[in-house]
Amino acid sequence: MMGKRGAALLLAAVVWLSAWMPCAWARESGDCLTIARQIIIWKKAQLGLSADEPLLCDTFLQQAGTTAGDWYPFAMGRLGMADDAGAYLAVIRSVVQQRYTTPEKLSAAKATEWHRIILAVLALGGDPTQMGTEQAPIDLVADGTYDRGKTVPLGRQGINGWIWGLIALDSMAYEVPQDAFYTREDIIEQIIAAVLDDGGFSLSGGSADPDITAMAIQALAPYYNSETTYLHPGTGEETTVREVVDQAVACLSRLQLKSAGYASWGTENVESSCQVLVALCALGIDPLTDQRFICQGRTLLDAICDYQMTDGGFAHSFTEDPANPDAVPGQSNSMASEQVLYAMAALWRQQQGMRRLYDLRPEMPLSLSSHIRMLNRNIAALHEDTAAGELEGLLKDYYCLPESERSYVAGFWTLHDLAVDAGLSAQSIAAATTVRQDWGAAAAGENQEFTLEQRREVDTLPEELTTEYEVTVERLLQQLEASQDFADQETYREKLLQARETIAAIRSEVDRLNQAILETIYPMEELTLRDLTAVEGLARDIQALSAYDQTQIRGREDVETAQLLLHNRLRGVLIGVGIACLAAGVGAWTVVRIRRRRRQKAAELEALAAQFPEDEA
Amino acid sequence: MKKDILAVCFVVLLIAVLLGGTEIQSVEEYYRTHAEEITPQSETVRISIRCDTILDNWDDLTPALQSEEFVPQDGVILPETELVLHEGDTVFDVLERAVRSNRIQMEYQGADENSFGSVYVQGIHYLYEFSCGPLSGWMYRVNGEFPNYGCSKYVLADGDVVEWVYTCDLGKDVGGGWLGGRQ
Repeated sequence: MMGKRGAALLLAAVVWLSAWMPCAWARESGDCLTIARQIIIWKKAQLGLSADEPLLCDTFLQQAGTTAGDWYPFAMGRLGMADDAGAYLAVIRSVVQQRYTTPEKLSAAKATEWHRIILAVLALGGDPTQMGTEQAPIDLVADGTYDRGKTVPLGRQGINGWIWGLIALDSMAYEVPQDAFYTREDIIEQIIAAVLDDGGFSLSGGSADPDITAMAIQALAPYYNSETTYLHPGTGEETTVREVVDQAVACLSRLQLKSAGYASWGTENVESSCQVLVALCALGIDPLTDQRFICQGRTLLDAICDYQMTDGGFAHSFTEDPANPDAVPGQSNSMASEQVLYAMAALWRQQQGMRRLYDLRPEMPLSLSSHIRMLNRNIAALHEDTAAGELEGLLKDYYCLPESERSYVAGFWTLHDLAVDAGLSAQSIAAATTVRQDWGAAAAGENQEFTLEQRREVDTLPEELTTEYEVTVERLLQQLEASQDFADQETYREKLLQARETIAAIRSEVDRLNQAILETIYPMEELTLRDLTAVEGLARDIQALSAYDQTQIRGREDVETAQLLLHNRLRGVLIGVGIACLAAGVGAWTVVRIRRRRRQKAAELEALAAQFPEDEA
Repeated sequence: MKKDILAVCFVVLLIAVLLGGTEIQSVEEYYRTHAEEITPQSETVRISIRCDTILDNWDDLTPALQSEEFVPQDGVILPETELVLHEGDTVFDVLERAVRSNRIQMEYQGADENSFGSVYVQGIHYLYEFSCGPLSGWMYRVNGEFPNYGCSKYVLADGDVVEWVYTCDLGKDVGGGWLGGRQ
């Protein structure tokens, strides 16, 4: 008895341990990268890929340009874990070019489509301002941020549009041209205007939502040190970004639960904690040590790790969430896992002294980053009695930084306020300090070549192409165009262009059939024999497609049904006509027979009458 | 004489067959072509598609859509329609059948294309999420309740009433809270 129970307990303990092991181990070694690797392995398994295949393969890249397909590449790029960045860039480029042929381009209402793609492209080393061709240039940054208002307001989808627009605009500190629709200040003001009474932000007003509050902080973080004041359109008062962000941070601290995690829309979930973690890292706050975000010894990272499953992925929540109905409680979920993945990127980058998650400019030259690190250390050592001379020196160290780098000085306001208390004027020190430009150069870009592996891929393209190869061919073409010249380049280009043409023809045939099916066979009750030729034509054309392409036809079963229906009806008509003919034939034959008999009778009577004429008389 | 009577009888029989219908089908063919026909034995569901809320938020509507072509005067895109319920039909299956057979435009993201792992209906009748303000989009109700399921995961039962409704306020204007029924 005892033995059995002991074994059961032991088993339970083992199960329990293995359930929590991966993260516990990672936490102890403080290794965000371990968690990130586990997530990537889980995601590969989810897609049926083996652990040594790249995640950014053509299977996954079918989703490039969608919410499900862009955040993994982004996070992997920020972690230095992109396994095939070139493949993603090639595919997203062609996806964008295709979507730009429609009037709404990437989306009628969602500017965040632009922002997400800008971030993913940058994270993998691409240039979102040059996504088109020479003949048809595409600048995602202009169209998705400062010039978005020329077609649809950036805020059409709500505060998300403004927040992510600012994040995308600042991702490379893009300059806003004079004739742009929005200035940076316009966008910042829109975000500030949305602040709620409790200091937080939400999609629909009311009280703060941790995710949106955290995202607003992420967007405003680069302006935290800015001494510029903005007009609060609601209250009409002047305010600095610092004041807004400080209140939002306080609000997040209040919203934190005892578990150290967060709840959004009434459900405790992992993504909210991820967003808060990213927000704190953006401000240069260490989320693992800042007391405002530690609950009973537990950190946000602990709260996040609670959601890791044994398969390496992360669950969204442990209870049913009406706001995310498709996430199964206690099961690894793609959106949850991708947000943990980029939260780990944010934390890892902070620990490595790299640029923040959404600052995708090249890493700082060493002289610049060590200057900032030193300044931060000196500011941390300040106290109320620090001599004015020292404060002035530190302020000079601050103001000699290029404006675009000052946000990395996390303790600026501490320094500023102490200096003001000591009777110094920050403004005049700023004016008296020249900005240093000699920080050294950033790393140079790398040379690309069309690899042997890529050549082999072209060589092994099947004779009978299907739309299944669309992504592969588009990727290879883009990679070929971006490569250095090589001997057989023209041959490869020709083969790929031909393949693209073939696939485009199949694609347009598939589109035509899908449209024709809609127009021809519905409503099915109203089909008549006049539609037979058209329906048969559809069925024939579908049959002519390859097995893969047939799966792209919506309602192909309905075409079969319609054909069957009409064939049955035709058969009915034919049988009817046959029966009618037969009936007519038999009828006519009978009539003829009856008539003939009558005539015969009449003739016989006549003959009889002729034999006996007297009788008649 | 006898032959004539026989012949006449035969003709009468043929005419009777003709009048009785000549569509002779195998059982399998019959079921295939009559799958959508409602008989007293069929299990059915009813489905409707409405966008009344837009009528109260006309100014928020994308100008290009401000026309009766996209927003019917009474807000009814598909009046309540009875459809045969096939085994395992989800809310999405029934929606797709309804829009196809009534030639209503619909666009969705397939199960593999979104983070939720379920089909996401982006637009019906050219009305999309955010077409009418930042809190707008499509939601669905089954028997008056907003379910906590993705529409391609909600399996319907005989007699269920499905309503697709357009919200301009995250569901508050159609009687749902907490984003319930978000598909």
